[in-house]
Amino acid sequence: MDRRTALRGLGTAIALPLLDSMVPRAALAAGAGEAARTPLRMAFLYVPNGIHMQDWTPAEEGENYVLPSTLEPLAAFKNDMCVLTGLTQKKAFANGDGGGDHARALASFLTGTQARKTSGADIRAGVSADQVAATEIGRYTRFPSLELGCEAGQQSGNCDSGYSCAYSSNISWKGESTPMAKEVNPKSAFDRLFTNGRPGESAEGRAKRERYNQSVLDFVRDDARALRDKLGVTDQRKLDEYLTAVRELETRIAKAAQTSADEAVAGFARPAGIPKDYDAHIRLMEDLMVLAFQGDVTRISTMVIANEGSNRSYPFIEVPEGHHDLSHHGNDAKKHEKIKKINRFHVTQFGHLLERLKGIKEGEGTLLDNCMIVYGSGIGDGNRHNHDDLPILLAGRGAGTIKPGRHIKYASGTPLNNLFLSMLDRLGVRRESLGDSTGRVAGLDG
Amino acid sequence: MTLPPPSSPSPIEGEGIFRFDKARFDVCRYLCYLTAIAAACAVGNAARLAQADEPQLKPIAAGTPAPAFIKDVRPLLAKYCFECHQGEKAKGGLALDAFRDERAALGRQPVWEKVLDQLDTGMMPPDGKPQPTDDERALVMRWIESRVLKIDCSKADPGRVTIRRLNKAEYNNTIRDLLGVDVKPADDFPSDDVGYGFDHIGDVLSMPPVLLERYLTAAERIVDAAILTPDPERAPVRTGKGKNLGSVGDADFEMDFPRTGDYALRVRAFADQAGPEPARMSLRLDGLDLQTVDVTAADGVSATYEIVLNVPVGKHRFAARFLNDYYKPDDPDPKNRDRNLHVERLEIQGPIGLLPDQLPASHTRLITCRPLPEADPADCARAVLRPFATRAFRRPATDDEVERLTRLVASAMREGDSFERGVQVAVEAVLVSPHFLFRIELDPEPLNPQAIRTINDFELATRLSYFLWSSLPDDELLGLAQAGTLRQEGHLAAQVRRMLQDPKSGALVDNFAVQWLHLGNLKTVSPDRKQFPGFDAALRGAMENETRMFFAAIIREDRSLFELLDSDFTFLNERLAKHYGIAGVQGDEFRRVTLATPERGGLLGQASILTVTSNPTRTSPVKRGKWILENLLNASPPPPPPNVPELKDASDKQLEGTLRQRMEQHRENPACAVCHTQMDAIGFGLENYDPIGAWRSKEGNLDIDASGTLPGGASFKSPAELKTILKAREPEFRRCVAEKLLTYALGRGLEYYDKCTVDTIVKNVAGNQDRFSALVLEIVNSDAFQKRRGKRGDEL
Repeated sequence: MDRRTALRGLGTAIALPLLDSMVPRAALAAGAGEAARTPLRMAFLYVPNGIHMQDWTPAEEGENYVLPSTLEPLAAFKNDMCVLTGLTQKKAFANGDGGGDHARALASFLTGTQARKTSGADIRAGVSADQVAATEIGRYTRFPSLELGCEAGQQSGNCDSGYSCAYSSNISWKGESTPMAKEVNPKSAFDRLFTNGRPGESAEGRAKRERYNQSVLDFVRDDARALRDKLGVTDQRKLDEYLTAVRELETRIAKAAQTSADEAVAGFARPAGIPKDYDAHIRLMEDLMVLAFQGDVTRISTMVIANEGSNRSYPFIEVPEGHHDLSHHGNDAKKHEKIKKINRFHVTQFGHLLERLKGIKEGEGTLLDNCMIVYGSGIGDGNRHNHDDLPILLAGRGAGTIKPGRHIKYASGTPLNNLFLSMLDRLGVRRESLGDSTGRVAGLDG
Repeated sequence: MTLPPPSSPSPIEGEGIFRFDKARFDVCRYLCYLTAIAAACAVGNAARLAQADEPQLKPIAAGTPAPAFIKDVRPLLAKYCFECHQGEKAKGGLALDAFRDERAALGRQPVWEKVLDQLDTGMMPPDGKPQPTDDERALVMRWIESRVLKIDCSKADPGRVTIRRLNKAEYNNTIRDLLGVDVKPADDFPSDDVGYGFDHIGDVLSMPPVLLERYLTAAERIVDAAILTPDPERAPVRTGKGKNLGSVGDADFEMDFPRTGDYALRVRAFADQAGPEPARMSLRLDGLDLQTVDVTAADGVSATYEIVLNVPVGKHRFAARFLNDYYKPDDPDPKNRDRNLHVERLEIQGPIGLLPDQLPASHTRLITCRPLPEADPADCARAVLRPFATRAFRRPATDDEVERLTRLVASAMREGDSFERGVQVAVEAVLVSPHFLFRIELDPEPLNPQAIRTINDFELATRLSYFLWSSLPDDELLGLAQAGTLRQEGHLAAQVRRMLQDPKSGALVDNFAVQWLHLGNLKTVSPDRKQFPGFDAALRGAMENETRMFFAAIIREDRSLFELLDSDFTFLNERLAKHYGIAGVQGDEFRRVTLATPERGGLLGQASILTVTSNPTRTSPVKRGKWILENLLNASPPPPPPNVPELKDASDKQLEGTLRQRMEQHRENPACAVCHTQMDAIGFGLENYDPIGAWRSKEGNLDIDASGTLPGGASFKSPAELKTILKAREPEFRRCVAEKLLTYALGRGLEYYDKCTVDTIVKNVAGNQDRFSALVLEIVNSDAFQKRRGKRGDEL
């Protein structure tokens, strides 16, 4: 027997047998208008504490730009992505709210709204770009959106200068006061996405169990509705969140009947838990995102590579200091070098995602061609805590609507949300505005 | 992770000094800001800490008349604030012009609290706008404090707690105590967000769809573990690992069959097909061929091959054998060269159709009644579900609820399932119901803030049990609530004492102490491996264990809160004792150790605390100082200013010496010094402890200087002397612990009107030798814990 073949399928690596059959089936479920097209996907990956911008920003504009050293790990994908500079998230600035740039940077990144400064009593940000999309196109897939992360939220203390930890650990906001908790454990994420059946369960057994689940949901919805009417406003909001969740869960159960989990994950080893090594963890979460996109389990995803303000250390790349501490580098050259190492490490992991997406054929091109993947941070330079001239990459061809391979320079102060609005357009989600957007960005299609 | 002020790491390690950039900083405004910081972070500063009984409100000089709103205050608002905060387009939704008279302001305290905060820290008016004089600023603040936030303790406001979803820890404990299965399903739930330092604050705990999904899957798992059913498809399944078989061989799985009975033995497999015939597989038990099948599944998609068999009790080996390997590397068709069998997994399900002879306690406790074959199962269902739902909902289940649950049992039985399976479904419904997942206190008038009511006995029992146990009330508490005698003379105090002695009060350590002291961060700190090769999982675990056991001892032995600051005992094993340089402790077991010298007595001598307040490569006096101010002395330094000035390039003189000397050189810059002199002083006192809490007298070749002078004049030369000074700050420490524990007990942030409650608590605790139980009892007896009111319109 060929030993290399034997390694396929089982073991630690995730080998993806090409399952072209999955796409048409899911797409058919999407309804008449959607069925003909291959779906377009959108994802946002976030890194904290800013970037060493001198080695990030290309000197040249347009197509013939040279990749700066931090972006070198993405050389193989230079023609699959754009470097976007000049974009700003104005709502991450203090604007009278004082300290807390880290909390604001993440809370505003996809919302373009000023997060209310509170330790908890009245949390409020805005609806994030991914959730705006999920609300509209989420109904075509089993999961409206998928929230991933590689660092659990902090479990005690204050996160940043009087802001609740909800702000610095959540990028995705379903409602103004409802952050979408992220999945950090790949095993849980995998089970949620792909494991519907119990081991040994027959098709009839599963159908019956789902009927029971439906009865359970009917029961609790009645409870929640009756209860809602007896409560005050804040409490009602909690029940509204609950009722929305019940509704989404019902949809999901109904959709689950249309797909076979076994088929979607054939040859895919179920993750055992959180990998010990950080890079393996990030890559595994990226693999899950790819698998979910490939099988059209969802079209919208976010991933917080590390929480904003994270003080994680990176000893495996010779950076034993904490990332946040380092980011206040005081222009110390030694610290710059270490920050660059961290930046490069993160970018390398992003390369893994692009490699996976590009390795999967879809229609005439690749899965990456049918994606819009944003990678970036809500802080420019960690020492200054500035939120203008943000480091932003946009990978994928947006199903033919984006011309990659360029460095696009926007006028300083252009709202980041203008980019998001342009991305929503491409998904067929029409909005007049989004957060602090002032319009759309030009020139994505070349 | 607590972020240090953005400016703090730079002055410590940085090689430049602060550049005071006039272009970016309004000097006057910044000095205002620094003045505010000085007031807040000055330990011993007369303005704040000497007034320890009233740290919430700054003292107002006697005889100074309160400013009048129309005459004194409103003109200043008009002059400095209205430009932005006026009319419908007011910034931040705050229209100050809407307050036409003082009465209008009196109903909107939360708004004015925020205004006060903005003025106090100098955040408003913002840079670039006209600034009030210090006197003008003080006048408006005095009006807010003396008129708007004036509190009449005789009409105390108990506040209002938003309905609280069970957090992860509470969910696990509640399931354990409700059903008697310790499966910890919440360990896989997404993290609960933190507010006010704790992860169980009602306002912060949201319910995203992913969580409800988890509740539903968890409920399925829980009922499987708790209740057994005789339905064939529900029989327990065990799985064995698969294997890729490239040549003739077995994938096998040995299992101890719990009893004699029918079992389904299954193989999930597919094959790479090649050669003239399909792959063949033999299903075997203990080496005997039971059946040989053709595996036609291919292309990475497995099929199931099953045989049902009566198997005697005991160990048996189940195997799938690949029988017909085929390998022809020169075949012109590359797909026809190699036949392999891929066994994805093995499964054994059973025993089928039987309830075991020995039913687990979780099952017998719940299923107290089984319907006779011809009887109506509804009677039994009611008998089972009413007491269960009552315990789960922490109040008597209503007839309607019981009937609807009973219908779930009936409909499962109509599907042909057993009574037990029906109960499983009903229990699932209870576990996903909002009445279970949320702690609900229904008000007759939810929107009337004047409608203050005493919570009922069930609600009180629930508050108590989640406060002290992070779990639901036990039968004794529920019984007292049912009888309406929980509040009878002596009952409440007796219950509190009983509950604190119960092992379940360990939840106070797991959830309160761990979060209050930031011990949870110990799991994620990563001291530099090169500098601290000795820091391993064992030491990390030992550090956490010491503080947990120490805190548990304070609770169980009902010791004084002040022993948290200084004590003559701790808990050590050999590993940690060696780390501390304490001789005579052998073995991995932790034991109580009496301390002969002062270095390790109290929290500040414990490596856990000293490590979570350090950076990976060095100590951080700033973080340590800030930690003590925030968590022990109730004096959080204000957040750092926005737009911290940039440091100069590294071309300046290189700073040299110990960390302390470098920091001190840094603070020659007055812009840094104003706050950091005071915040860091405390941290310097702990410099004898290295970043992982080991004792040191030198840093490199240089001697450690652990002396310092606190603002106000108290000076110290060692950690022990610093500890003595901190112990002397009785009122601040007592109040700090009281506020933290009250926040934890209520699950909400404290508001200005809680001042009366806290005042009473600290007064009475001081009169009871500061015993832990006294603090708990005072909290339990407080209005904030015993009562609630309707919502005010301005509370969001």
